Amino acid sequence: MSIRSWLKRRRLDDQDFDEEVRAHLAIAADERVADGEDRQSARLASLKDFGNVALTTESVRRVWTPWWLAALHDQMSDVRYAIRALAKNPVFSLTVVGVLTLGIALNAAVFTMLKGLALSPIAGVERSAALAVIFGETSSGRQLPISYPAYQYIRDHDRAFSGLMGSSVASLGLGRGRSARPIWGELVTGNYFEILGVRAERGRTLLPSDEIAPGRHPVVVLSDGLWRRNYGADPDIVGKSIEINNYPLTVVGVADATFHGTTVVYDVEVYVPVMMAPDLGFKFGSQHTTPSEILSDPRATLFYPQGYLRPGTTIANAAAQADALGAQLSRERPLTDALQSLKVVPFWRTPGGAPMILLPTLMVLSAMGLLVLLIACANIAGLVLVRGMSRRGEIAVRLALGATRTRIVRLLIVENLVLALPGAILGVLLAQQGIPLLVGYAEGLSAPNRIFFNIGVDRLVLAFAALVACGSALVFGLVPALQSTQVDLVSVINADASPRGAARGRLRTGLVIAQVAVSLVLLVGAGLVTRSLEAARRTYPGFDRDHVTALALDVKQNGYDERSGRVFYRHLLDAARADRGIESASLALYNPLAFLETRTQRMAIEGYEPRRGEDLAFMSNIVSSDYFRTLRINLVAGREFEDRDDESAAPVAVVNQTLAQRFWGSAPNAIGKRIRAAEGDWRTVIGVAADVKYVRIDEAPRPYFYVPLLQSYRSNLILSTRGEAPVDRLVEQARARIAALDPDLPIVHAGTLAESTRGALMLFQLMATMLFLFGAAGMALAAIGTYGLVSYIVKQSTHEIGIRLALGATSRSVVLAFLARGARLGAIGAAIGVAAALGLTRLLGSALFGVSATDVLSFARALAIVLGIVIVATLVPAWRAARTDPLSALRHQ
Amino acid sequence: MTLHSSRPDARTDLLHGTLDMLILQTLQWGPQHGYAIGRTIRAQSSDVLQVEAGSLYPALQRLAKRGWVTSKWGQTEANQRAKFYRLTPEGKKQLLREESRWTELVNAISRIMKPGVMPATEE
Repeated sequence: MSIRSWLKRRRLDDQDFDEEVRAHLAIAADERVADGEDRQSARLASLKDFGNVALTTESVRRVWTPWWLAALHDQMSDVRYAIRALAKNPVFSLTVVGVLTLGIALNAAVFTMLKGLALSPIAGVERSAALAVIFGETSSGRQLPISYPAYQYIRDHDRAFSGLMGSSVASLGLGRGRSARPIWGELVTGNYFEILGVRAERGRTLLPSDEIAPGRHPVVVLSDGLWRRNYGADPDIVGKSIEINNYPLTVVGVADATFHGTTVVYDVEVYVPVMMAPDLGFKFGSQHTTPSEILSDPRATLFYPQGYLRPGTTIANAAAQADALGAQLSRERPLTDALQSLKVVPFWRTPGGAPMILLPTLMVLSAMGLLVLLIACANIAGLVLVRGMSRRGEIAVRLALGATRTRIVRLLIVENLVLALPGAILGVLLAQQGIPLLVGYAEGLSAPNRIFFNIGVDRLVLAFAALVACGSALVFGLVPALQSTQVDLVSVINADASPRGAARGRLRTGLVIAQVAVSLVLLVGAGLVTRSLEAARRTYPGFDRDHVTALALDVKQNGYDERSGRVFYRHLLDAARADRGIESASLALYNPLAFLETRTQRMAIEGYEPRRGEDLAFMSNIVSSDYFRTLRINLVAGREFEDRDDESAAPVAVVNQTLAQRFWGSAPNAIGKRIRAAEGDWRTVIGVAADVKYVRIDEAPRPYFYVPLLQSYRSNLILSTRGEAPVDRLVEQARARIAALDPDLPIVHAGTLAESTRGALMLFQLMATMLFLFGAAGMALAAIGTYGLVSYIVKQSTHEIGIRLALGATSRSVVLAFLARGARLGAIGAAIGVAAALGLTRLLGSALFGVSATDVLSFARALAIVLGIVIVATLVPAWRAARTDPLSALRHQ
Repeated sequence: MTLHSSRPDARTDLLHGTLDMLILQTLQWGPQHGYAIGRTIRAQSSDVLQVEAGSLYPALQRLAKRGWVTSKWGQTEANQRAKFYRLTPEGKKQLLREESRWTELVNAISRIMKPGVMPATEE
């Protein structure tokens, strides 16, 4: 029975019973009147006979009250009492609520991110974490997307999935002319929306009938965000035509407002049938694949097919089936690429996906968050314990009056919950305010591309916060509560308040030791990551990122084909180089250190016989002449690309030092040797460039090679110019150059090379910021807690101090005695903390760079801070106690 | 011997049970309203048992909740509106159970209080 219907019934019953009472009184009075009494006194007498009407009504009502409600009613009186008791001690209550707020906020924030990445990664799709993903893997563990023909084969033959869809995220140009801008789009299969269960808010979604033949489905579904921002929520949007990559597509619908695409972190704004990929100028995979072939070429790897498994099918089952299917597939349609086997993984392990990249970091953060919460709990346990002391009198009286221990423990636990819940609520609010700040920071980094995190604070987060709050209330409340009830009635009532219960003392020293240990671990972690960040900042990445611009273009967004694109880029380079104050200018497919794991290609190397099953695959870049000069990458041997290395000349390449050394022994030896990428031509090595940090600052040296732009066209390139002028002016200058050549071409991104490398540091920075926050919070908590506990222990010993002083001890020796005690606790805690830190910092592994997990300086710093706090926490109250008059100290008790 | 209850007031079940039994017994002869039930119990016990309204009405509600009595508004002979309680078939069975339990209890107590004397069986 719901509470509402119960309340309604209760009201009706009350009325009914009122009437019954009235009838009772009337009949009783009538009887008395019949016996000869006068009406007035008869009425009074019958009322008197009846007794307490309100009490009776209450008893009648209770008969109908469900037992759990009655229990709740008792609980409420506990809550009321608890609130009164806590309000009497506002400093204690506010401290606890504040400490818990901090602890819960940090954990809720980390949990929210965890939820957005792994538990519910796709907004607007229920059970999105249950999606499974298929990818190909070569013998060396290289992970590859699946080509469209392979996808079709798997989709039609697989029995493990209830449906398989595919989507490939891409940067698209929306509109034409000055208003054109780059947006994220997904090229999707016809069953995409159906499998995800995403509805159209307006019009229709894409359907299997939108995946019949290449080029025959010029339709598009918009995101709710795009529809509102760009088209003012136009109610007649369906049927209108919009231009994407200079190609007209008809809007058939607007996707549900909660849906932001399946590419975690990307805010996808349009969904286009994969059949339109050739017409939008897409080219995946092989150098030789023309756009018209991307749907038929098995080398044109397109996406990672995904879907829900059939009920009862496990990932392992699906993986076994996919493996068999992969073998069958390579028999029926031999692949030229080294696709060896098909793998199935849960969605969060999508190769190259944001969850895969960010989860290890988040796990470390979660661990740190829990440590902070642990400190907070130890902290509060200390406070509760201390407060329990001062309430011993009250509790003893209650026990003496016949309250059961259960009843008192219950009351104390309710009190702790009353403290914990505001902490949970405030913590969630704090997290809710804080997360957008972090996201805003990430958005700033990725602008103008839109990103989206599924980080709303929802029921899951609230439940988590409530759970954490109740859990911590139990942790910090139960042990002290049990202890408080173990009072010796006689001793308390005899007002001998000397609190020297051995168990209590042990608990208190235990809490101090635990706090010291845990905060040491946190501080060591924070110190290590901070030092990693310093090291990462100091490391020379192999190129000079100052005074260089980086403007990303994609000429297919304004309808250029390869021929016109080449001409455009030729003119752009000439114009940029002719500009005043420009030292050099170049074009490249990728920026170095852009935090982007780019495609690797299978390599053949002259003079090197690969071992059986060895899958040599390296990353590469396509660059124009002057690239190495512009980025100031040293050439160790040979020459860099020049304008004569064009289509009519012999194919050439530049390799990096690591590649040259690995296969030919030295850089000069490499000149004149030949390499071949995938199914391409053999290229002669004409130069060897110094190693560069290609993806992330902490990567190990890896083989890498460069191919001249004139021999390998791409529509999306980055223009870099170097000059003496302030780099912002250089960016404006380059932007003006592009606009002068084609005012209608959208500039995907305009910025500096230094900015484009920030992403590689972002994880470090985020990690360091969070860890610093956690470390600082843990530190503050531990400082308050340790200080509170230690100084309380000292204060309780005022009596002892008095005796010592009276017996002739100097105040100095008293202080030293207490200092020795404090130092002993600190030392034990520190020893445990160091041991734990040595074990735990190993887990930081990937987050560390340039420092070892056992970095002495980080440990020393953390030790100094923690011990310093313990010493101050002992010294101050001990000093104060030693200066009191021994007589008053003795009289104190 | 106590009635099973999930409520914490199980201690008083013996008393409650006895009052419940008296009420059921009173209703055996036909529907009555609350005041009349109290009056009957008092009269039949020669003024020894005085049932207070504060016990009577919660007891009636308890019986109603268990389905042993039903209630209905009606008119007294004096043309007063009153709520009449009627024994249900289920309530009749319960009365028989209570009676035998009661007899057993009385016999047991009597054997303790007056050893050797066989107690008179009720009715």
